[in-house]
Amino acid sequence: MKRVEVRLSITAVAPLLDLIKSVADELRVHLAVPLVLSDADTELAAVWREDLLASQRDDCDRLFSLFDQEFFMEGVVAFDRDNAEPVLRACAALRLRFRETHLAKIPDDTLEALEASSSLGDLDEIVQKAFACFLFLDELQKIILKYLDPMAVEEDE
Amino acid sequence: MSVRTERKAAWRVVFLNDAVTRMSYAVMVLRKLFGFDEATATKHMLEAHEQGRSVVWVGMRENAEAHVFSLQQWHLSATLEPDEES
Repeated sequence: MKRVEVRLSITAVAPLLDLIKSVADELRVHLAVPLVLSDADTELAAVWREDLLASQRDDCDRLFSLFDQEFFMEGVVAFDRDNAEPVLRACAALRLRFRETHLAKIPDDTLEALEASSSLGDLDEIVQKAFACFLFLDELQKIILKYLDPMAVEEDE
Repeated sequence: MSVRTERKAAWRVVFLNDAVTRMSYAVMVLRKLFGFDEATATKHMLEAHEQGRSVVWVGMRENAEAHVFSLQQWHLSATLEPDEES
């Protein structure tokens, strides 16, 4: 994958970063996807949990490294073969965490309809912001997936 | 002298559905981790989407564990279960 520079709207994205960061902080100690192992595997689960948390932390750190001085001056973030996959994983983890926390009260079909229309509906202000983060992380995923496999994202649409 | 051959029990890697993850992401991860072609990865993704689960791999326990760990690392929910057919 060659280096890809993407221009984002600073005014749209910058206000979301604090909330995304606070959810990323939760992911330092909570797995985005709970382990589903049998009771006989508690030792394995304990070892995995630590390794998975470390990986999750690294991925979120890579995501936040996109929002550096260049982003705040030019609105540009850059993906390459080193950061594309960690950022993809971080977006996935953060979206799952947003769903579990800030967006937990929204039924699946309502969330799906809001996602399809990219509208904020009549959500409370804090939920609106969380939903905007949820959509933004999805957009980042789409951009990266498009560059990894141009056909892939079209099939989602 | 009798020779007894013992087959090691096989384990399944079961990919579980979630309502958040983008379909193209799940397909990309399944292709990457299991070497599936697009059609096979899509079939597993749709099976999990519609039925809640899809068996994506069967084999030795150690390898199955490694696959489940990798899926979890990509934030796709998965579990291990004994393969009753083995």
